[in-house]
Amino acid sequence: MHTLERSNKHFHRIVLAVFFSLGFVLLAVSFIRLQISNKAMYQRQSRNNSIRAESLYPVRGLIRDKTGRILVDTRAQFSAAVIPVSITAQSLRRACEILGLDTVSVQKKIKNGVGFRPVIIDRDISQEQLVAIEENRIDLPGIITLEVPKRFYADNVNSPHIFGTIGEVNKAEQIINPIYEAGDLVGKSGIEKKYDLDLRGTKGVRYLRVDASGKTLGAYDESQNISPVHGNDIYLHLDYSMQQFAESLLVDYRGALVAIDVRDGGIIAMASKPDYDPRLLSGKIDPEIWKRLIEDENHPLYSRAIQSAYPPGSTYKIVAAIAALQEKIITPQWEATCNGSFRLGRKTIRCWNPNGHGTLDLYGAIKNSCNVYFYKLGLKIGLDFWSKYSKMLGFGSKTGIDLPNENSGLVPTREFFDRVYGKNGWTRGNLANLAIGQGELLVTPLQLAQFAMILANKGVYYTPHMVEKMYDFSARAFVNFPKEVNYVKGISKDVYDVVREGMHRVVNGGTGWLGRVPGIDMAGKTGTAQNPHGEPHAWFMAFAPYESPEVAISVIVENAGGGGAIAAPIARKFLEKYFYGKLIARPVVKKDKSGSAQDSLLFPIPNDSLQPMQLFLPDEGTE
Amino acid sequence: MMSNTIFKKIDWILILLSAFLLIIGLMAIYSATFATHGSEYFSRQLIIATIGFIGMLMMAFIPFRWLQRMSFLFYFVSLILLFLIFLIGTKGYGAERWIVLAGIKLQPAELAKIATIMAVAAYVADYNVNVNRFRHFIVVAILVFLPMLLIARQPDLGTSLVFLALFIPLLYWAGLNWFALFILVAPVITLIVSFNFYAFLVWMIVVSAILFLSGRKPVILASIFAFHIAVGLFTPVMWNQLRPYQQKRLLTFANPESDPHGAGYQIIQSKVAIGSGGLWGKGYLNGTQTQLKFLPAQHTDFIFSVIGEEWGFTGVLLILGLLLLLLLYLLHLAVQVRSTFASLTLVGIATVLFFHIFVNIGMTVGLAPVTGLPLPFISYGGSFLAVTLLMMGLAHNFSANRYQR
Repeated sequence: MHTLERSNKHFHRIVLAVFFSLGFVLLAVSFIRLQISNKAMYQRQSRNNSIRAESLYPVRGLIRDKTGRILVDTRAQFSAAVIPVSITAQSLRRACEILGLDTVSVQKKIKNGVGFRPVIIDRDISQEQLVAIEENRIDLPGIITLEVPKRFYADNVNSPHIFGTIGEVNKAEQIINPIYEAGDLVGKSGIEKKYDLDLRGTKGVRYLRVDASGKTLGAYDESQNISPVHGNDIYLHLDYSMQQFAESLLVDYRGALVAIDVRDGGIIAMASKPDYDPRLLSGKIDPEIWKRLIEDENHPLYSRAIQSAYPPGSTYKIVAAIAALQEKIITPQWEATCNGSFRLGRKTIRCWNPNGHGTLDLYGAIKNSCNVYFYKLGLKIGLDFWSKYSKMLGFGSKTGIDLPNENSGLVPTREFFDRVYGKNGWTRGNLANLAIGQGELLVTPLQLAQFAMILANKGVYYTPHMVEKMYDFSARAFVNFPKEVNYVKGISKDVYDVVREGMHRVVNGGTGWLGRVPGIDMAGKTGTAQNPHGEPHAWFMAFAPYESPEVAISVIVENAGGGGAIAAPIARKFLEKYFYGKLIARPVVKKDKSGSAQDSLLFPIPNDSLQPMQLFLPDEGTE
Repeated sequence: MMSNTIFKKIDWILILLSAFLLIIGLMAIYSATFATHGSEYFSRQLIIATIGFIGMLMMAFIPFRWLQRMSFLFYFVSLILLFLIFLIGTKGYGAERWIVLAGIKLQPAELAKIATIMAVAAYVADYNVNVNRFRHFIVVAILVFLPMLLIARQPDLGTSLVFLALFIPLLYWAGLNWFALFILVAPVITLIVSFNFYAFLVWMIVVSAILFLSGRKPVILASIFAFHIAVGLFTPVMWNQLRPYQQKRLLTFANPESDPHGAGYQIIQSKVAIGSGGLWGKGYLNGTQTQLKFLPAQHTDFIFSVIGEEWGFTGVLLILGLLLLLLLYLLHLAVQVRSTFASLTLVGIATVLFFHIFVNIGMTVGLAPVTGLPLPFISYGGSFLAVTLLMMGLAHNFSANRYQR
């Protein structure tokens, strides 16, 4: 082994030590040059000539309707902020005077602020306050104004449930999508949330010369700047005048209306009342108003069209009819006799018509919405087929509409009942109830409109969507969103023909006669859903025209009474506006002599094992 | 007494120097990041520093023999990790290259530094090696250049230069004769001076004088001299063959301030930060350049600018003093230890640390190119801190076992 002698090692060590030390001396000399000899020059540069890269925020994309009308755009709003290191007590007092703020509470707010990061003390300041601060610049060291974009809604534009709101990004959202930086404004609900990445645009960069207190001295090098890219403009499928009209129809009610173009799944209108003024939640939110909205028992913040699920009532008899026909349990000619009541075990349940409907076939039963007929039919179908067809027809799962927080509703199955009531804990009464759209079953107005679309197209349906296309400002071109077409497998054309014929009769002399639009052949179904919150919910679903359908519609009015009397006329008015552009004057109508043209009020089976039904609102945390 | 033996094994100079430097680093990281990230970076670094420091203490109690025996295995594993990078590596910003193993992000290049040192040391110590013999010299060269080439391919030029820097001091310590050292170092100088005719002329005279005095065979001397002339003639030609952007890239590497918007921006901001710190600094957490985020990479590559600005020349001298003290102490240990393996490893460690310190601090004052080499103990970054403390742990072990052969 060749090793260094000890003395040799010492020599080598000295050589390396001298080499290392020389390196350190060289470094030290460089520091002396910078920190001692040229200190003044660098201190001046540090004070005066620092360069800061500043984000340039893009304009958030606009939301327009199909005609290009601007519904939502962005305008500037100003906030006052404090730079913690350069604030003085006097300047803070002046600023609070101008802004009308309490100095003590502001001091508390900025207590945790450090360094040069601005702490916002007041949002959405008025033009006068802005001018006052800018004019008194010199007396207000440490106070700056920041420009923050605010959503602006055109006159007569409401529809908060469609557009949604924007707000400052939170930690969770940043973790899900790292593109978000602290302080960014992002969509919190509605289209704003769903299409946030399209709407937000791309940030730019501007280089500024700033002094050590963070004050801007001017541009650094214009050629280095990168402009922001305008967010994509979103074009809705709907024509806003139709949406406005739909909202006006529900103005005094709690309820929802959903109209879908059955040819492509585009939403023609989606109204939910009561709602709120979206302007209240844009920019500075008044805590009072927020509290009032949150605590309002009418839940104006929720879109009833997609977020609330209700028992569908008699509209759901169509599902039972489809299941029975497709499984060949009955033919359309199968008859049952209604004496006005029906005995199930020890209980007697009544039809809505106490005199009874007499002997009916399927067409008659749908037309008159006979409960007894469908109780009997439901028992023949059985729970498994009923659940299977409910799911095939889109119930119990989200439609996939391009809006966040959609409710999937609830379709009870054998497993569900076994879990809730225990095995064999549930009875044939539960099943009979489901057949007439009562019991645990819950559907959203959107799902029912989708169902009407399936019936209109005999199985073909498109995923409902709000947004038609967008304008991409970086590509300078329109981008169309692909339409998703689906097909309900396993239900034959003949089955659709039978239930469509039944629904046709509903509007022509049946329970839904008030929903008929003059001159347009159409089909529909009423529903009157019992619920524990008082009066029944009024339902109506329809599609028109009958032969080559264009529109599918569903209407619900909460606790308003019969579907035929309340919901059907709303749908009629909407369709008249759609087809004729105006309401049709109607002659005074004589009462239909048959007596069948009444509301099909339901009398569900009083079933002790049934838990009280609840109006399904997401905030109540039911189930 | 058991506790007495444990107490004796601890090298207080190493421990205290490391602890001081770690604390200084944590303070600087906190200052550099708290305005933008709160205590996030600080806490992460604190965790690694604490674990690493405890590990370093414990390493004194690992049997000395094991370390030597494990060296080749360790080297082999780090080579495999370097290969793996090409298959499953993820790219960070700039020149960092990561692989994720069992949920832990690793930079194999950092591991390879110490692995290479230990492998060379073990090779020289284990076998009857004389680096003056061509065969043995070549083995050492392969041991060093294999990881270096893999890292240069990543491409991470800065880190691969660390290996180049290791090569000569290790050979020097292993007893390579001065003539061979001269042959290795001289062409680099020739390359640099060939851009200036007079410098080249003077250098050639120096070279011929040294060659003449060496008293070797005239044929060898003549061919060496011819080689140097060839390098001098061809370099300008090669330079002109390069495309303008390639020339610019090389010039920027040598002199960052020629590119005021790219690498130059960092250097200028760093110099302003350091220069404005003056003798006493602007005070902890009060550096305007730092807190206004003018300094790029201020918690990693440019951490020393933060120290220069906030702590002033006084603080800079203190830290430079601590670092130099550490290096000199490592060299002292290298003489003290009886084992060749330990001695060579210590010199390798000192060299790696010196290279990192010089290049990193040098770049903050515009003395060295911007290469992305972190500052030992102080820069933010888990892999390198862990490897630094591993090196300190080895030194600690050698110190405890200094009488073993």
